[in-house]
Amino acid sequence: MKKAVAALLTVSALAVGVVGLSAAAEASDLNIMLETPVESLDPQIATDGTSFEVIADFTDGLMQMDADGKAVEALAESYEVSEDGCTYTFHLRDASWSNGDPVTANDFVFAWQRAVDPDVASEYSYMLSDIGQVVNAAEIIAGEKDKSELGVTAIDDKTLEVKLNVPVSYFLSLMYFPTFYPVNQAFFESVGDTFGTSPETTLSNGAFIMDTYEPAATAFHLTKNDSYWDAARVQLAGLNYQVIQDSQQALMSYQSGALDMTLVNGEQVDQVKEDPEFQTIGAGYLWYVSPNMDGVPELANLNIRLAMTNAINRVSITEDVLKDGSIPTYTAVPLQFAAGPDGSDFSGDQSLYLDVCADDAAKAAEYWAAGLEELGISELSLDMVVDADDAPQKVAQVLKEQWETTLPGLTVNLVIEPKKQRVEDMQNGDFQLGLTRWGPDYADPMTYLGMWITGNNNNYGLWSNEEFDAIIDECTTGDLCTDAEGRWARLYDAQKIVMDEAVIYPLYTQANAEMMSSAVTGVEFHPVALNRVYKNAAKAE
Amino acid sequence: MRKYTVKRILTSVFTLLVILLVLFILMQLMPGSPFNDEKLNDSQREVLYAKYGLDQPVVVQFFRYVGNMLRGDLGVSYKISRNTPISQLIQTRLPISLFIGGFAVTIGAVLGLILGLIAALKHDTIWDSLATIISVIGVSVPSYVFALALSYTLGFRLQWFPMLYNVQKAMGSSVLPSISLSMFTMASIARFTRTEMLEVLNSDYMLLAESKGVSGPALIFRHALRNALIPIITVLAPLVVDLMTGSLVVEKIFAIPGVGSLLVNAIQSNDYNVVISLSFIYSALYIIIMLVVDILYGVIDPRIRLAKKGE
Repeated sequence: MKKAVAALLTVSALAVGVVGLSAAAEASDLNIMLETPVESLDPQIATDGTSFEVIADFTDGLMQMDADGKAVEALAESYEVSEDGCTYTFHLRDASWSNGDPVTANDFVFAWQRAVDPDVASEYSYMLSDIGQVVNAAEIIAGEKDKSELGVTAIDDKTLEVKLNVPVSYFLSLMYFPTFYPVNQAFFESVGDTFGTSPETTLSNGAFIMDTYEPAATAFHLTKNDSYWDAARVQLAGLNYQVIQDSQQALMSYQSGALDMTLVNGEQVDQVKEDPEFQTIGAGYLWYVSPNMDGVPELANLNIRLAMTNAINRVSITEDVLKDGSIPTYTAVPLQFAAGPDGSDFSGDQSLYLDVCADDAAKAAEYWAAGLEELGISELSLDMVVDADDAPQKVAQVLKEQWETTLPGLTVNLVIEPKKQRVEDMQNGDFQLGLTRWGPDYADPMTYLGMWITGNNNNYGLWSNEEFDAIIDECTTGDLCTDAEGRWARLYDAQKIVMDEAVIYPLYTQANAEMMSSAVTGVEFHPVALNRVYKNAAKAE
Repeated sequence: MRKYTVKRILTSVFTLLVILLVLFILMQLMPGSPFNDEKLNDSQREVLYAKYGLDQPVVVQFFRYVGNMLRGDLGVSYKISRNTPISQLIQTRLPISLFIGGFAVTIGAVLGLILGLIAALKHDTIWDSLATIISVIGVSVPSYVFALALSYTLGFRLQWFPMLYNVQKAMGSSVLPSISLSMFTMASIARFTRTEMLEVLNSDYMLLAESKGVSGPALIFRHALRNALIPIITVLAPLVVDLMTGSLVVEKIFAIPGVGSLLVNAIQSNDYNVVISLSFIYSALYIIIMLVVDILYGVIDPRIRLAKKGE
């Protein structure tokens, strides 16, 4: 029978005429693995990293990221900022859409108005209101004003004026975020609801043009756009995307040469870490434990919280458990995503708060004893909600062990839930400890520190501190908006309060383990907005 | 027979309606919503709920959905492919899943029959034991394990077949997923065929046929196998359904743009409309298959056909 099966297989193989792997495309296409399908190619609707990456392959915004993640001109040839920092004037370069239409200032006005239009219900509308502070954005989203009143105006075809409520120091860096990308109004209206669902209903003004695509496609392809304004820079013939949701399949496809880039999961790292093509890339995500200070009296005790954060051995978590290049983090803002006025990483110095947050079992035990005494208890049992995914479960298991070993009398029960349930529980304050993470929306520490103001949606522990709120206010809408250095210094003051109070127990800054063919150069990786950019990428034959 | 068929069809339609209602209730019980992203605030969530009518009572949502469905509108995806009509999502995917499923059933049924026949005819020999071992493995090992093993051996090592689905080479890239899916069917069919064949071979009418001089293939195929087939067809139907559920994971492994992988992604992201539509389609397929088998059963087994006639 075995023979028969083997024979049958051979015959079918010959009949079908398949030899070798079919996924390999033309020589100079870059073959890229995606973990999840694209959710939307509509720049004002998309919310996930995969969609953003692909949208940016074929669409440019006013600004783009350089290799270091700094905002540099793209469709804007130049720009001016008014003295009060509240008006930006962008002068567009000569660029065209793939149907031949020129890119005009109205394309931006149309797109931005869509982003705040309640009928469109863009999930990322807050990029224009809360974060971008564009005049009237918040009111339009709330349905109080008409979208035509948004603070963005086409002065003429090539001049776009944007008015802000208050100066926003990182406003230019928002311009490479896809929510702010232009949409050609006439084209959009001609395709209606089918916008962005096929190559025919997609328009490019960027480095590549979509040539095969269907909604939630598992494979699709983009070709170099010869009429791109910066076409000389683009060296790849195209991008060949393949969605692979099984990590073993992905690695084998890479090893067989069908992929040039693929993600590697924690268990596969040992297998490939000696390979020169293996690399780890900072993802900007901060993983942390959020204690519910409002709902759990014991966690309202500062000594208990300090004991818990000091009892964690972060180095052991990243090196023994995750092994993917994640970095132990002892600050409330993670590493590698926010560079200050002098260009240095906001959290580059991890030793700032070691007095209150370190891998220090001895100190943890002292805090613990003090805390128990203050509370008049000798034992404490806490539940921690954890996502039912692989990495969080492993990390939680280690945390439980570390806490229970270092802090006598502490029992931690892990409550494993689907991520959605975990998020819902935390949003409802229905938790004691929560293992969670946060990814940066823009390249400024505020994307993290802003979460801890009184009443913020993501301030699950319901922590409140007047001094902290005042500093954040000062940095967001107050005098410091126009003083980059002063603001930066104050943000450290804010972070110090969060750390001193152990509002969260930071764990690590996530990194992604990747394999990338040595023939490939120039792929740019960023922790914010666009995770991978291929405009400068090249692949040797 | 016609009366019976009509009755069965009406029952099926009613069952489907009940399934739809249950699906709707289950959706409400699912934790989270398509829009419980941590980054959304309450007012944004309200806007999204209102846009998609999720702020309405479940009953209203249900009847609106049924109404739309009767007009052929399955709604739009909330999450996995925002605002895309489900019908568009399914259009290209359903044929792919059905093709791979059909391919798998064919392989499974044919190989299972061969295996079962060998086992029965070479009863109590090494061949019989071998067939039994293969059957036990096929029944007990989940299809995704076969998928990964086949992908590694025939795909990665030997490079006979693609490891991932490729639209341009649909046939070739369907082989590994189809084989992975067919193992359970093959094993079950083999076991049934063996049992049934042994029973039939020992029956009096076989002795009679043999004594009348019928021999060789005619004896085996016309007299023995045909009688053994009846119960096998009944088990084939639930097997086809097992195959559909197995395909959820297998489609994900081979990156097949079918409805199975779509359903998995939709469930994980609470994409209500996609989950409801696809589960409904799966249920409909299941019911149709059972219906066809019931009717077919009557065609194959004259006793049933005649009994119904007598009603």
